[in-house]
Amino acid sequence: MIGASISRWTMSYFAMALAWLFLALALMVAGVGYPVAEIASPDTLVLVHAVCIGWLSLAMCGALFQFVPVLVAKPLFSERWALPALVLLTAGLVSLLAGFLSLGGRLPPVLWLLPLGAILLVAGFGLVVVDLGLTAWLRPTGPARFVLAGLASLCATVAFGAVFAFVLAGWAGSAGDAFLAAGIPLHAISGLGGWLTLTAMGVSYRLLSMFMLSPDVDDRQSRITLGAGALAIGVTVAGGILAIGVASGLSVVLSIAAVFGLVSAALYGRDIAGIFRNRKRRQLELNMRMATLSFASLAATALLGIVLVAAEAFAAHIGPFAFLAVFGWLSGLVLTKLYKIVAFLTWLETYGPVMGRAPTPRVQDLVAEGRATKWFVIYYVAVWAGTLMLLAGELHIFRAAAVAMTVGVVGIVREVIRIRRLADVAGPVRLPGGAVAPHLLFARN
Amino acid sequence: MPEYIDVDVRPILRAGGEPFSVIMAALERLAPGQGLRLYATFKPIPLVAVMANKGFTHSEQALDGGEWEVLFTPAETTSEPAPAVADGPGPEDWPPPAVNLDNRDLDPPEPMVRILAAAEKLGPGETLSALLRREPVFLFSQLEKRGFRWLGGFTPDGATYELTVRAPS
Repeated sequence: MIGASISRWTMSYFAMALAWLFLALALMVAGVGYPVAEIASPDTLVLVHAVCIGWLSLAMCGALFQFVPVLVAKPLFSERWALPALVLLTAGLVSLLAGFLSLGGRLPPVLWLLPLGAILLVAGFGLVVVDLGLTAWLRPTGPARFVLAGLASLCATVAFGAVFAFVLAGWAGSAGDAFLAAGIPLHAISGLGGWLTLTAMGVSYRLLSMFMLSPDVDDRQSRITLGAGALAIGVTVAGGILAIGVASGLSVVLSIAAVFGLVSAALYGRDIAGIFRNRKRRQLELNMRMATLSFASLAATALLGIVLVAAEAFAAHIGPFAFLAVFGWLSGLVLTKLYKIVAFLTWLETYGPVMGRAPTPRVQDLVAEGRATKWFVIYYVAVWAGTLMLLAGELHIFRAAAVAMTVGVVGIVREVIRIRRLADVAGPVRLPGGAVAPHLLFARN
Repeated sequence: MPEYIDVDVRPILRAGGEPFSVIMAALERLAPGQGLRLYATFKPIPLVAVMANKGFTHSEQALDGGEWEVLFTPAETTSEPAPAVADGPGPEDWPPPAVNLDNRDLDPPEPMVRILAAAEKLGPGETLSALLRREPVFLFSQLEKRGFRWLGGFTPDGATYELTVRAPS
């Protein structure tokens, strides 16, 4: 048994992730990409990948470098890989987006940027997967198993994406063209459903029970939740490739996957409700109260999916469905947990060395929840309004909702920077003798 | 077959107590070549590592009702002495806790703050015992940085984590 220390680069991942989120919000406000452009247009590909790789994946990787060692009570396989991975992922994403822009005629035609971006992203995610995978493999208990399934899904997502990049550059022949024509749903489902959602579920099990003093969810119970989710992804990937191979269409495969996905989401809802019910800590902190809005968004996403399928309108409205999943469920959860993780890590980094030797503030003294609440509320309300506007086809009002989302995120990021700067800690205990103020972008450990 | 001294810590565990000091006291009374037969309400995994350091091999047997009988047998006297631990005498010298903390009903990270504050007040070589709801993963590195040693594990129902911390002597 050994303890977990502070991951040096987690803050750097968070900062880079937030920079990509701002870029994505700026694109939506400016009307670049979906919904103003077609959902499959190069401009939309820029927006989608800035959100899914730049914002969500980098934030998730940063959180995992800190929390996988906590999940398994073992040190990270290699702390030294985290920074090169961040550099490779950033360079790969820039190259990929430049490739999309040139595909759309916004840049001169340099399509080799797409395969180059894919190779850099494969290398960056490869470092992440090996580092986290070898760490989690040591003690694959409940939440760590979710992370392993998430990492496997990430491999599938990246593999699909890399093939598509070569196809778009014209380097993969007619078989590649057929694969690109049919395979995009597989790429999207394994990314959003497998990598991001399964991993977010796993981490949330441990974070929620840790911060609310609740017993861990029974291993057998969470294993069924994971089993259903992993089956959904497995059916999508394996069945999907098979279906494309025999040119039979994806509808049967995707229907089966959707059923497993819904079962997994429902079981996850039951598990999370249990954690809230059995908590010893009655008073909920801001990050927990706001996380409930993410869980509500996940439930609403599932419900919206069912309604759209029943109305035979799913294909026409896949945009609002994905928007609610990405910004209501995943981004909302990441923002709320980021608010808590930054406060906790900053507190531990600054005051851990002097704790017990000098009076130190509490974690709660680093945050101003009253002030932060309104930014989260603005964010979620804007996301839900944006979803409705997408469903109604009101593109101008959608851009107003994107402005409101940006306002909320700016407010949240300002709070996070204040936490990192210890700006809300009362003067006398702010820096007791021996404590060193943290750096904004990395841990000094 | 060596002779074994029986130590039954089941009553202490059932009463919610910390049996570590009792086991260590029994160990001190052992004559050369004698072993220890331990009865516990759970498999004492943290203890096995401690005893291995002391040069004892172990074998275990499940009893009825989830209880365990563990035999700690001294390794051959010709074998190498147990490696000395880096920062002071082995756990056999750990005295009974000078401080007992029940941190089970505190909000995180208050248990960590209290343990570190109490640990700072320990005299050289003294120990403290703390009960917690969760494995204090972030505490361990702080303890190690300050030169403290620690031993911990969950009770069999998984509801309470027992931690013993020893100040550097």
